[in-house]
Amino acid sequence: MEIGYSLTIAALSSQFLVGLSRAMILFIVSAGMSFVLGVLRVPNVAHGSLYMIGAFSAFSISVLLGAGSAGFWLALILAPLVVAFVSFIAERSLFCHLYEREHLMLLLFTFALMLILDDLVKIVWGADYRSIIAPEIFRGSVPIFGTPFPRYNLFLLIVGPLVGIGLWWFSNKTKIGKIARAAAVDREMVGAIGINVSWVFAFAFILGCFLAGLGGALVSPTVSIKLGMDHDIIMEAFLIVTIGGLGNMWGALLGSLIFGITQSFGVLFWPQFAIVFPYVAVAIILTWWPKGMLKSVW
Amino acid sequence: MLSQKPYWFVAFILIILFVLPGIIPRFYTYILAIIFVTSLLVMSLNMVVGHGGLFQFHHGAFYGVGAYTFALFFTKTPLPVWIAFVAGPVFAAIAGMIIGMFCVRLTRLYFGMLQISLGSLLWALAFRWYSLTGGDDGIHGIVMPSFISSLNNAYYFILILTILGIIVMYLIFKSPFGATLQAIRDNPERCEAIGINVRRHQLIAIIIATFFAGLAGVLFVVLEGSVFPDLLFWVFSLEIFIMCLLGGWFTFAGPIIGAAVMVSLRTFVGIYTEYWTLILGVILILLIFFLPEGLWGYLMEKLGEHPKQSQKGGN
Amino acid sequence: MLHLENVYKSFDNFVAVNGANLAVKKGELVAVIGPNGAGKTTIFNLITGQLKPDNGRVVFKDEDINKLSAYQICRRGIARSFQIANIFPRLTVFKNVQVSVLSQEGKSTTLFYPAKKIAVEKTNSILESVGLADKAHYPAASLAHGDQRVLEIAIALGNKPELLILDEPTAGMSADETSATMKLIKKLTESQGLTILFCEHDMEVVFNVAQSIMVMHQGETIIQGSPEEVRNSKDVQECYLGVG
Repeated sequence: MEIGYSLTIAALSSQFLVGLSRAMILFIVSAGMSFVLGVLRVPNVAHGSLYMIGAFSAFSISVLLGAGSAGFWLALILAPLVVAFVSFIAERSLFCHLYEREHLMLLLFTFALMLILDDLVKIVWGADYRSIIAPEIFRGSVPIFGTPFPRYNLFLLIVGPLVGIGLWWFSNKTKIGKIARAAAVDREMVGAIGINVSWVFAFAFILGCFLAGLGGALVSPTVSIKLGMDHDIIMEAFLIVTIGGLGNMWGALLGSLIFGITQSFGVLFWPQFAIVFPYVAVAIILTWWPKGMLKSVW
Repeated sequence: MLSQKPYWFVAFILIILFVLPGIIPRFYTYILAIIFVTSLLVMSLNMVVGHGGLFQFHHGAFYGVGAYTFALFFTKTPLPVWIAFVAGPVFAAIAGMIIGMFCVRLTRLYFGMLQISLGSLLWALAFRWYSLTGGDDGIHGIVMPSFISSLNNAYYFILILTILGIIVMYLIFKSPFGATLQAIRDNPERCEAIGINVRRHQLIAIIIATFFAGLAGVLFVVLEGSVFPDLLFWVFSLEIFIMCLLGGWFTFAGPIIGAAVMVSLRTFVGIYTEYWTLILGVILILLIFFLPEGLWGYLMEKLGEHPKQSQKGGN
Repeated sequence: MLHLENVYKSFDNFVAVNGANLAVKKGELVAVIGPNGAGKTTIFNLITGQLKPDNGRVVFKDEDINKLSAYQICRRGIARSFQIANIFPRLTVFKNVQVSVLSQEGKSTTLFYPAKKIAVEKTNSILESVGLADKAHYPAASLAHGDQRVLEIAIALGNKPELLILDEPTAGMSADETSATMKLIKKLTESQGLTILFCEHDMEVVFNVAQSIMVMHQGETIIQGSPEEVRNSKDVQECYLGVG
């Protein structure tokens, strides 16, 4: 077992920031999953696949538009919309017919969706790894605490909170957001006052998937875009949502921070088992707070 | 009808299964052996899901624990092989008990999600602990002791143990414990009100089920001679779940059908296309929409054996 | 045998039970009445452990049972039936009751003995005493509503309780079914020496059958006494007429 490089304050702080920026992506994706979980009470197993489609779509769009920086920005906007569209089709054609059924059926549907989407990605994009290069202004790094910190990660550190604020404003200040929150707590009541619950669900699902796609698009310049990236993220999102409290946005933020930071510190202390660190943190947290640290929406 | 115990039917099938290896090509013998191992695994899952009503989403983790324990005891220790055989299911049951103790504190969905979390911890360990488990390569080329090293011998060994396992599970299904478990599935709150310690019963069911999952894991290694982390990966667990549903999760024998159908489909579809995952997804969707009681469950209902849950009202 | 002392329970600022008192003597048939929302079902849940009181005591056979969990309370000798038919839908009628008997006999964790050989006579005798013996092998979900309510009671009887609590046992029943059920309840008190506590909306039923009546209103106990006392009580008349 080797302990990484010297544990200077600089190294720790730098690694902390790396973890933080990773946490931003995790937050965006988990917030989407949490939202769906809160309103529909079902974890969306296909969430990771939609994230993956977001990444692949961002790749294709930016290639289509000439791989320059305009291409990247447009990809960032369009890829999540593509994902939202895919989820819209899945929802209106099949998913919505299951709303009256047991929750288990909804969960299994999302699993089936994941399986189908996984192979669809394979069919459309093939099995090769892809990559995107971030536009000029994000290339290279900035020295922070004496170690180079990628500029793109700085961008993530800004976008993350922006998305968070946007979500918060949306859930609490817009009519649709408030209705969705009400439906999460008591769907029958919402139905009884004349609101079409099925549309609320559709909306929540599509929004959640949009966020997954956004996460995928945002992460695309920093990782290799490949099949199987969905399996990793879905596990992480599941765990984050579980430790944060089902349906709770702040919980998703808290969980993402814990996850991102334990993972990056894990890399520092015990690289071989870095991926185990977050799982151990989850096990510990769930021992004390079996239902998650913050209150779940239901 | 079918409720008159169809012993003659089962005996007939068993005789055929015993005779087959002499007649059919090696490949089919191998497929049948996989079906047996998978059946045992899916039946063990059904014990907690179909009969117990628990959302056991990561059953594969215990299958993997059984397989790895056996492989590691056998290849890395000088202990005799029968100890390895026993250690597999026992360690799986211990893992089941520990993880179960965390999970039964929660209900339904939380139970499932927590189990996926904790099971994935096991997966991460298997995946990364290169020196012990071979990491993502796994351990390959394990040579079995001579009495089961040939395919046919392995086939019979697996068949016999699977049959024994299923018989034991059947006895439990028909026992007072089994009846209580099913009552817990139907209405846990009511069970509390009639003096049943629901959590204790659920935990016992989990321990039994994971024991058999571990046994299935051991049999897997006997057949394949190798072990790898994918067995503990949650996607595989959900596949096992689908097999359970496909067969019919409120029946006793349904999961066997589910396992047989899935393994056969996967093998034969795999010959023609690499998009098995897509087809699996489509099958699942068809199941959800058209056959929520599973194949066997659907048959049983048609033959008037099993009540559909939604059937209510006057006589 | 059972008494509640100043029991208090609130949910998120809504006070469901506000200082309720109840006394049940061995062998008595006691009824709790009151308008909807008076807190009757909550009281029952507090007794049988589905809910825990915020304040006050629940004492059964001189033992404080406030802190016990539902299954432990049941093992002390209290069984209950629920307002909404709370049966095991996929099991047969026979199995529904048998599970209860097995639990009472402590055999629910027996693994290797066929269930169909255990507790058969007891189960059958219970089914006969409630009149469901001919439907023993029907799936419970297929029973008519009235029969399901009777099955509810049969399941509770399987526990061989000393105190049987029935939450609106005749809810949704026709007049014939109601009187048959009430006859059954009376018979159980007399023949098996069961103590029964129940709540009901049907006043005729209550006044004909109960030996002691407790009246609740908005979570409080107004009065507990014999049917005569209750009928003549000014407080009761006020709260019922006042409420309208």
